[in-house]
Amino acid sequence: MLKKSSPLILILITIGLLFVPFGGFSEYFVRLLAVIFLWIGKAGCWNIISGYTGYIDFGAVGYYGIGSYVTALLMSKGNAPFLVSILVSGLVSALIALPIGLPTLRLRGAYFGIATLAFAEAMKQIILEFDKTAGVNFFEGPHGITLPIGPKNEFFYYIGFAVMVVVIGIAYWIKRSKLGYALRAIHEAEQAAELSGVDTLRSKVKAYMISAFFLGLIGGIEAYWLTYITPHMVFDVLITIQMVVMSLLGGIGTVFGPVVGASFLTILYELLHRDFPYTYTIIVGFIIVVIVLLMPKGIVGTLTPAGRREP
Amino acid sequence: MLLFLQSLLNGILLGGIYASYSAGFSLIFGVMGVINLFHGEMVMLGAFLTYWIFTLFHIDPFLTVPLSFFSLFIFGYLIQRFVINRVVEAPPTNSYILTFGIHLIVAYAALWIWTADFRTVTTSYSGMNANMGGIIIPYARLVTFVLALIVVAGLYFLLYRTEIGRAIQATAQDKEIARLMGVNIRQIFAITFGIGAAITGIAGSLISTYFIIFPQMGLSYTIVAFCVVVLGGMGYIPGVLYGGLILGVVQSLTATYLNAGLSGALTFILLFIMLVLRPAGILGRGIVE
Amino acid sequence: MKIINLPLLPFGKGGWRDLVVDMPILEGRDLTKYFGALAAVHAIDFSVEKGEILGMIGPNGAGKSTLFSVITGVYKPDEGEVFFKGRKISGLKPHAICRMGIAKTAQLVQPFREMTVLENVLVGGLHGKNLSLSKATQEAEEILECVGLGAMKGMASGSITVPDRRRLELARALATGAEVLLLDENMAGLNPTEIEEVLKLLREIRDQGKTLVLVEHIMRAVMGISDRIIVLNYGEKIAEGIPAEIANHQKVIEAYLGEKHASYR
Repeated sequence: MLKKSSPLILILITIGLLFVPFGGFSEYFVRLLAVIFLWIGKAGCWNIISGYTGYIDFGAVGYYGIGSYVTALLMSKGNAPFLVSILVSGLVSALIALPIGLPTLRLRGAYFGIATLAFAEAMKQIILEFDKTAGVNFFEGPHGITLPIGPKNEFFYYIGFAVMVVVIGIAYWIKRSKLGYALRAIHEAEQAAELSGVDTLRSKVKAYMISAFFLGLIGGIEAYWLTYITPHMVFDVLITIQMVVMSLLGGIGTVFGPVVGASFLTILYELLHRDFPYTYTIIVGFIIVVIVLLMPKGIVGTLTPAGRREP
Repeated sequence: MLLFLQSLLNGILLGGIYASYSAGFSLIFGVMGVINLFHGEMVMLGAFLTYWIFTLFHIDPFLTVPLSFFSLFIFGYLIQRFVINRVVEAPPTNSYILTFGIHLIVAYAALWIWTADFRTVTTSYSGMNANMGGIIIPYARLVTFVLALIVVAGLYFLLYRTEIGRAIQATAQDKEIARLMGVNIRQIFAITFGIGAAITGIAGSLISTYFIIFPQMGLSYTIVAFCVVVLGGMGYIPGVLYGGLILGVVQSLTATYLNAGLSGALTFILLFIMLVLRPAGILGRGIVE
Repeated sequence: MKIINLPLLPFGKGGWRDLVVDMPILEGRDLTKYFGALAAVHAIDFSVEKGEILGMIGPNGAGKSTLFSVITGVYKPDEGEVFFKGRKISGLKPHAICRMGIAKTAQLVQPFREMTVLENVLVGGLHGKNLSLSKATQEAEEILECVGLGAMKGMASGSITVPDRRRLELARALATGAEVLLLDENMAGLNPTEIEEVLKLLREIRDQGKTLVLVEHIMRAVMGISDRIIVLNYGEKIAEGIPAEIANHQKVIEAYLGEKHASYR
């Protein structure tokens, strides 16, 4: 890894990306990049809790979906502006993450995974039952909501870019902070961490809520972009799986792992899903198997020599 | 009153069905500590095996049960031996993620090959019921209920009265000591996984006679199995009967008196609550590592 | 010695309790902990004075490690209480107890394997003592020099030898700013020279004002360094006194009879 010049290259690439929409590229290319940015954001969020602490979260899509619905409701029924809506989405998700995180983060790794999966699926079912049970009537079609028509892809390009930079930036900042040391210690030897003064529950919940906030925010952004959402779309467990495998492939627990993983897999998806819809998922399955068996540190993790702190 | 009894009976039969395909999940976890997230795929494979044999060769589903047993045994044995065995010694999270990867491969390969169409196995006796004083008891489900009891009893017999069973128990309790006593751990793990797969497969075969089957059905079965096993106690095999019954009855009553959709949400909420409040199961006999 | 248990006055390091020298710094009363039907620790009373080195000995399975775990909050006692500087700490979470000033090393060392030696110690300073990153780094480097691991600070802690890992555990415990250190067989497996080095280090640590409780099987070391000794057997305290008394104590000799203790001299 080029130590001295890598920050410089990073800055150059980042600035370069800002000008892409003006560079005469196709609409498709701009859209693709925006999708990649948002996946980097999502995978990055997942990595903040699961990558750093080792608590594999299988319910991340729950917060994404909550965010989607909050924004959808605020914008379509409340005529709220976009930025306010997504911020509220993030806040709602983070607030819900507290009572969910507190009991589940006490569980051991595998039980935590299933509990979070149960949470996400329960959220989907609850929304599906919401109108019947609560007698409310704002759904169109199969419990869907239509949002106001949004601006062109360039808008979402820049929003996605901003979110990506913020999420990765926060991941980077956390890693070097007190919280980061706490999370890594929890991952390695949780009881020893607790005995060394780390408030393990509080640290885990902090990371979990930060992750939930941004997942909710991104859920709101994508709801606006999709313009029409249903529970099956925004609470799809495959979205969580994408986050998991992107982080795994790129390098779980590393800052730039999600960047590598999300880029690679989004492109792979674009190449495959039209003609070979199931092949992509099968390949994802193989990637998971291969990574777990042969390359548990992922791409970035394996390329970083041990003992040296990875940026 | 009749409605209540019918609902209750439906719940009990449903519970038996749940128990029949959850026992394998509990066995695998209890012996190897592996949470098998492609468990549901074994139900699916058993079901589809029976379906194709029925559709292509017109052989009665009940007759394909032995074939299902052996095929799934081999499938489970091989996967454990050559893939999963590498992570058995590692932290449980690895086996978790790994088996999820296998789930994706198997489910989506099945989806690709067999397409997403819904299918059923409809025999001449598919709709036949017994009728006891106004309460309807479908034969096919009753058979699966009986199967669940047989499976649990069979596992008990295997574990407590056979040589292999004792080796399995020894391995489950303390790998190192079992190894020192000459037990071939790798072989035992593979056999255990094979047995777990086999009994799940035959449950799948029978399920095809009254439930709709489709390639992606696996995940929801895995989740139900997880719920049943957590309720009854992870690794405690008779517990699947308790767990299944509770879940089945609760779901049935909810569907009858409240709302069909809500009973789905209930599984997850119940699972969540159990994991948080009482991970050792209703009877407290589960393994909570 | 009176125990004053006043509520919620500034109790942390530097608080008024540090001025009160009239009480033991650490005290346990009637401590009992069950695992199933077995009492791993039963009705144990003990007290440790500030600046003291207390040795705890007893056959394997006597409950020594369990007692440490009860003190540090890993287990909540089924009966009895633990007091630190007069304040009841039993029932608090381990991290809270650590921040108040008690740290322990484990029998089976648990370094944060993927983190460097320096980073391991950093965790203690950051979270046990609540220092800033720069201050904690500075202190961590000093502590590592002190225990003799200065040269290895950049190495992954999973890759150093076991004796070095024990020193790392000690360093991490020191970094938390603990006033009372509970050392669980920190010298196991060391050769006589290494043992002497550790003993010298422990005396230095005590001279800096710390209080030590040692669990050890290496009799010569424990007897040599401890001011007082308590003896546990089958979860109960069977003897207490100065090393000379203990060495000749009937019950203690009986407890060890039949057990081959190669290091007993």
